[in-house]
Amino acid sequence: MRPEFILQVDADLSRVACSVMVGGNAAADALKTGLRQLASVLATAPFDGLAAVIDTMVRAADLAEAGNEQETLAAVDAVWSAWKAEVEGANKPSASIETASNGTDARVEDDVEALRMDPELSGMFIVEALDHLGTIETSVLALEAAPGDTKLLNDIFRPFHTVKGNSGALGVRTVQELAHRVENLLDLGRSGKLAIGPRETDVILKAVDLLTAMITDLQRRLNGDPGQDLEGARLDLMTLVDSVIAQEALDPQLIAPIVAEESAAVQAAKASPLKRRADDTGASVKIDTRKLDSLVDMVGELVIVQSIIRDDPALQAVDERLTRNLAQLCRITSDLQRNAMAMRMVPIRQTFQKMARLVRDLSKHSGKQVDLVLSGEDTELDRKVVEDINDPLMHMVRNSIDHGIEDAATRQSRGKSATGRLSLKAYHQGGSIVIEIEDDGGGLNTERIRQKAIAQGLIDADAQLDPSVIHQMIFRPGFSTAQQVTEISGRGVGMDVVRRNIEALRGRIEIHSRPGEGTTFLIRLPLTLAIVDGLVLRTGAQRFVLPTFAVRESLRPLPEHVHTVHGQPRMVQVRNSLIPLVRLAELFAIEDAVEHAWEGTVVVLEDEDDHVALVIDELVGKQEVVIKSLGDAFGNVPGVAGGAILGDGRVGLILDAHGIVAMMQGRESKAA
Amino acid sequence: MNTTQNAGAVKTVAGLAGKYLTFALGTEEYGLPVLKVREIIKMLDITQVPQMPAHVKGVINLRGKVIPVVDLRLKFGFAPQDYNERTCVIVVEVVIATGRVLMGIVVDAVSEVLNLAGEDIERTPDFGERVDTDYMTGVAKVKGKVKILLDLDRVLGADGTISLKAA
Repeated sequence: MRPEFILQVDADLSRVACSVMVGGNAAADALKTGLRQLASVLATAPFDGLAAVIDTMVRAADLAEAGNEQETLAAVDAVWSAWKAEVEGANKPSASIETASNGTDARVEDDVEALRMDPELSGMFIVEALDHLGTIETSVLALEAAPGDTKLLNDIFRPFHTVKGNSGALGVRTVQELAHRVENLLDLGRSGKLAIGPRETDVILKAVDLLTAMITDLQRRLNGDPGQDLEGARLDLMTLVDSVIAQEALDPQLIAPIVAEESAAVQAAKASPLKRRADDTGASVKIDTRKLDSLVDMVGELVIVQSIIRDDPALQAVDERLTRNLAQLCRITSDLQRNAMAMRMVPIRQTFQKMARLVRDLSKHSGKQVDLVLSGEDTELDRKVVEDINDPLMHMVRNSIDHGIEDAATRQSRGKSATGRLSLKAYHQGGSIVIEIEDDGGGLNTERIRQKAIAQGLIDADAQLDPSVIHQMIFRPGFSTAQQVTEISGRGVGMDVVRRNIEALRGRIEIHSRPGEGTTFLIRLPLTLAIVDGLVLRTGAQRFVLPTFAVRESLRPLPEHVHTVHGQPRMVQVRNSLIPLVRLAELFAIEDAVEHAWEGTVVVLEDEDDHVALVIDELVGKQEVVIKSLGDAFGNVPGVAGGAILGDGRVGLILDAHGIVAMMQGRESKAA
Repeated sequence: MNTTQNAGAVKTVAGLAGKYLTFALGTEEYGLPVLKVREIIKMLDITQVPQMPAHVKGVINLRGKVIPVVDLRLKFGFAPQDYNERTCVIVVEVVIATGRVLMGIVVDAVSEVLNLAGEDIERTPDFGERVDTDYMTGVAKVKGKVKILLDLDRVLGADGTISLKAA
């Protein structure tokens, strides 16, 4: 029954029942008429099972007409009880619902309609259901490590029950039916009537996956986008669950072969026990992320205005009390800003745990034994980074298991343990976050990469190249040396996209491969996306900001240290090295700028191992700036990382050292 | 938002009626639907962004938000003019390929908000192939003066993004 229908009937019934209190003939009349009307409303409503309630209403109406107050009162009470019981019954696993779902005529189109009727409730339902499914998955993985643990069984049962109930209340029958089946399975498990072993947990995980897909699909359809057809999969899975409950021999077509050894997740869970977290809903709140972003933005603006006020010359030589209060204001604003930025930080734990599930599935699929070791799950990252790092990490984990880690036989013949080891680590280092993905497989096959690079015309056949240079080739688009393209990796579209995603976060990725021993990928990401410590500089009439981490040093060279190539100043000598030289004014077409390096200032930019000496007019100062994106309208401007609001309210472009180095290299290769 | 949808959309003249902000570029007067206008600010320092077409002047700080600024004179191919105390920036909301963005447009002077009725507005005349009239939604006659009504999304958003380098 639809919630609004229930509310409507409740309201009508209350109104009608008031007449009982009043007493007298007019009241009795009103009661009788009201009840008869309600009865016909229920009779014509498109819901089943209301016959009993309608009967009580008709009886009460008749008694009201007959004028017997006592009996009428009792009859109205009976109407209430019957109605309430019916409402309750709609949410309980009652016989009527079971028979309806066995004949499953649930259709996804009907469910979408049901959700459309109440957008706010639907939105909440979808978000909460997906949340529950995430919790369920974690608990199931834990259960695999500790079979028979009743607390875990309950931890899995409860959210399933909630999802089933919520979907039922909203009329989303496709979801409700499947959830209900699994709930039955779990109920048998927690009452000890059915052992929940690997076969059962496998089925439960399948259900989690399918329900997630179904709910995501519903959301897509609600947005007007085309949906997927999951009906076949759903019916199959429901049949499967029934078979498992009946302990029948499972139809081999319905399930993937189940590997006999301990699953990877069991081993992973043993290595880093997934703690049983107490229900901590009291300790946190759900906030709409837009509100959070808006708050962080506003705090950013507050900091800027506050620094403009603080630096205002009119306030410099004023009385001591004002100065003290200003200083206090500054301190509080700083703290506020730090807190606001911290609100965007989330631990990487959830991302790592998604990997646990992935490793489990992959190792079953490939038949290889893999131990997953996680560390540093508490390391916090900006929320956006966590979102964007998910796909690259998944891709690299797949690569490690598919191509890196060898199967048990090969490993043993190489003197390694039969079980491969994949470790994910996250930690802070300097001003960055580092994420390490390390496997003890066979390492990158340098020769095969070299051959592929030669075949693609990227390098000469006889070029003598350092292995690390050859390894970098895997980041080229379309590059993959996988012998077989497996279903999920090896299509050669991966590593270049991975690197691009990481660079979009202003991060870097490094490879360290040891032939026969394993491969390590290192991802370095800046700690905060939004705030950067900057050097403000001026060239011509424009001011720019250079992030201090990109600056190795600044100097004013002597004319004799500037060396020309073909008449153009191209290099500067700094102590013992020659660094490529370029004028910022030239790169960005700025007028009225200083012409010669020795008349202005040279800033040496550092981008990993590359250096560029940038000629600017002068350094103006240091400032912590909030990075503002230039907006979607601009796309990617080479050499520019964004805009910053300077102390006087003007915008200063933030220079991107990596981009400038790339621009230089582009020019060099063109000139060559 | 798919700007190509506008290509075939024939807006009825009655549908164009409403409030418009009118502004001057040289001797010509233009009108923008008021719903698209966020605010009007006096001319201020614009930070140049490298490698942009000439009509993209750069970015400004709008209360903490960095937004791009376009010089409409240059966009329409008029000769550039020095900015004076009447020059303003109209902050508008434009629909481009990736969503809605705020942009500033530099105009010579802002005139007034006019309430245009259906009968004041006429369909854009066909000037022949030499004049591109795609970005005009219509022409209004008010007190003997003609105002050209603009479809901002086509003027500013038709490129998708402004990051076209001069090819």
